[in-house]
Amino acid sequence: MTKTPQQEELASREYKYGFVTDIETEAFPRGLSEAIVALISERKQEPAWMRDWRLKAYRHWTTMTEPHWPNFHYGPIDYQALAYYSAPKKKTDGPKNLDEVDKELLETFERLGIPLTEQKRLTGVAVDAVFDSVSVATTHQSELAKQGIIFCSMTEAISHHPELVKKYLGSVVPSTDNFFAALNSAVFSDGSFCYIPKGVRCPLELSTYFRINSADSGQFERTLIVAEDDSYVSYLEGCTAPSRDKNQLHAAVVELIALNNAEIKYSTVQNWYPGDKEGKGGIYNFVTKRGKCIGVNSKISWTQVEAGAAITWKYPSVILQGDNSIGKFYSVALTNNRMQADTGTKMIHIGKNTKSTIISKGISTDHSNNNYRGLVKILPSADGARNFSQCDSMLVGNNCSANTFPYIEVKNPTAVMEHEASTSKISAEQVFYLKSRGLDMEESVSLIINGFCKEVFKELPLEFSVEAVKLLEMKLEGSVG
Amino acid sequence: MVTQTEKLNSLITDYFEKEQKLGAQLPEWMKELRQQGLSRFNELGIPTIKNEEWKYTNLSSLAERKFYIPEPQPFKELGELHEYLDPAEINVVFVNGDFHPKLSNLTDLPKGVSIVNLTTASAPGIQPFETHIREYQQKFSDPFAALNDAITHGGVLVKIDEKTVLKRLIHIVHVTCVPKENAILSPRTLIVLGKSAQAEVLETYMSCTPVGYFTNALTDIFLEENSVLRYTKAQNEGRQAYHIGTTRIFQKRDSLSENFSMTTGGMLTRNNLMIILENSGANTFLNGLYAVQGEQHVDNHTCVDHQAPNATSNQYYKGILNGNSHAVFNGKIFVKRIAQQTNSYQLNKNLLLGKGARVDTKPQLEIFADDVKCTHGATIGQLNEDELFYLETRGIHRELAVRMLCRGFVDDILNRISNPSVVAKLNKMLAPSFETFK
Repeated sequence: MTKTPQQEELASREYKYGFVTDIETEAFPRGLSEAIVALISERKQEPAWMRDWRLKAYRHWTTMTEPHWPNFHYGPIDYQALAYYSAPKKKTDGPKNLDEVDKELLETFERLGIPLTEQKRLTGVAVDAVFDSVSVATTHQSELAKQGIIFCSMTEAISHHPELVKKYLGSVVPSTDNFFAALNSAVFSDGSFCYIPKGVRCPLELSTYFRINSADSGQFERTLIVAEDDSYVSYLEGCTAPSRDKNQLHAAVVELIALNNAEIKYSTVQNWYPGDKEGKGGIYNFVTKRGKCIGVNSKISWTQVEAGAAITWKYPSVILQGDNSIGKFYSVALTNNRMQADTGTKMIHIGKNTKSTIISKGISTDHSNNNYRGLVKILPSADGARNFSQCDSMLVGNNCSANTFPYIEVKNPTAVMEHEASTSKISAEQVFYLKSRGLDMEESVSLIINGFCKEVFKELPLEFSVEAVKLLEMKLEGSVG
Repeated sequence: MVTQTEKLNSLITDYFEKEQKLGAQLPEWMKELRQQGLSRFNELGIPTIKNEEWKYTNLSSLAERKFYIPEPQPFKELGELHEYLDPAEINVVFVNGDFHPKLSNLTDLPKGVSIVNLTTASAPGIQPFETHIREYQQKFSDPFAALNDAITHGGVLVKIDEKTVLKRLIHIVHVTCVPKENAILSPRTLIVLGKSAQAEVLETYMSCTPVGYFTNALTDIFLEENSVLRYTKAQNEGRQAYHIGTTRIFQKRDSLSENFSMTTGGMLTRNNLMIILENSGANTFLNGLYAVQGEQHVDNHTCVDHQAPNATSNQYYKGILNGNSHAVFNGKIFVKRIAQQTNSYQLNKNLLLGKGARVDTKPQLEIFADDVKCTHGATIGQLNEDELFYLETRGIHRELAVRMLCRGFVDDILNRISNPSVVAKLNKMLAPSFETFK
């Protein structure tokens, strides 16, 4: 494929969020041992039960081996070479309000387009910003508190709401769940905690913004969202990291709990640094995300736009335990250059009349490798379960690959499930039509791809939807034509 | 040597004893094949559910058994066979895994058609195919094809010469009538169609014994340029039988294969169907039907390997599950980087009638070329209550209504077979299953 000079220029456009913020961080020894785990706990001034929980997870982790079944390749990770804690150095005991937050840090978030200052409340989004491993600022807290909503960093939650954390932490993703979840349980440094009380419809979109800044540190954050009976919350998550030559590990855990009639909507726009054109550097995004519809009529929906990270390996799942509960998964995964993605979902139907929908769109360009892997499991107790899955892949260029591995396990004869998938390229007829209308190649392709992903984008909250479209356009610049 | 054969020895107790007796008179190429199969099987062993390819089919009950190789059956008229065989067709009969020319009617074969025992076939005539298969064997670690190689001491070669159009159906019947349980049978079939040749082959597996045994069948098919083969495999073995069947089809330029696979019998069935589209313009259809009940387990694994551009494959598998039966479908489509303009379709539909029925389906696409159209789909569901109600309002008893709807479900796929004689034979095998639908 020959590229015009303009396309060349576009293709070499750099990762917009690749800058490094020169900020003083607390030094922390590298490596991993029980002492390190205890040290993390100590630095965070955690109660004893939390430290013991971490140590238990660490001990289990040492008995596990790193899994290698996914359909991608990466070099060995040296877990002893990583620093497991990195926090912006605090001047005093920690900022009491935004004025005390490091100015440079605020500027960083400004540059990322994340409004942390409360004057910008017009945006209607409450933000918890996580810089390296530590939550630096949470906005709109007081407003949310009026309704009884708790939205704070995990560290705060552990000290202020230990009963809730004790009850729910690890109830969906146990610390023994898998290799990376165990690692996260042992060393997680911060994250967001969100609790919506009974009957409350959260008035704002809650949002967490993750940023990895330090080199040679892994990021291990933990998010826990609990929606009590009859409540509703929409939660957004965004991620970026500086461009570095070395691969960095991001192993997060997200747990969602929906009780009777509750609804949780979780949206992610993931744009970690994907490495350069030759595949050097970039984030390894090995994340465990799982939601549990415990109550009847509860609903959890995952919407994700995966456009970054050298390797994305995650399967946001829903355990449909309550009768009539609903699980949804909408995903767009775009891979370019040498990116690799093995992503999809798991829908586990346990309760009666449970329903799940899976819409997955994969776009693969350049030398990338894009995999959909999903599991729909209908257990014998799930009478009248219903599933619809659709996973479409689009290939742009002949050096990429797209694979689909759907697992469907039905153990109940009253279940109805449909699965469909397709793989194709952008049709020449469609491009010709658009070009004949005066659009250039790039605009045509962008339009077609937007149409391809529309079903997923329309599930995103408005601001994110716009961001996602832009992100996709930016990523595709120069790689098509 | 002794340590090397451990895995096979623990599965087949009398392997060494039989090896010496049978191995001595075999042609050189077959001895070599057996040796390679033996070491390959010992390397791989019986797979467990930890193996992704065998995730849903548990072979632990098979692995625990001790099998024996049955003595070659002396010539004996088998009365049961007559109702299956039509003298107007070319019948090739296997008894207990061994080819029986005397029970077959091979006397007046049309010109250009030869059907002989693999052991008597000339080495230069077979070797190119065997070498080709060996290369493939290394790529796919299939322990059961290796096991068949290790035990084989014969089999049949069906050869259709260039430009020969065979109108008569070739019916290969595998009958098992072993007196005592735990026999292992390794029937082997090699079908070669020359350039522009055409033929239709039906391979049926049946038993006239209620005891448990293990059929480990292997069929290799080579389609030269522009040839056309319609190939149907029907498995209607006893309810105690294990059946693991591997069919590998290698297709050259512009060749066409229309495959149909039906499973109604067996306790545990695994059909491996591998189609390798080696040159451009090769087309293939893979259709299948399974109707199982009770505690039956049926596993269909298909793999279509698009190695060249402009090839198409079409897959359609349907199944009815009654009782506590368990069906597995895994369809794989590989599209190599150079295989542009590939069209590949795959669909699996399951009808659940039984309370304890279970389905695991995994339609899988692995695509490395961009100019392709590939789709796959899977559905699992029940009979439509509205349709049943409509029939009942017309005075049709519910039981009959269920059968009528099942008939429709089955005919949709059976009607894709063009030869009425094959359809009639399959329907006959299906009849007992239909009686259980209600």
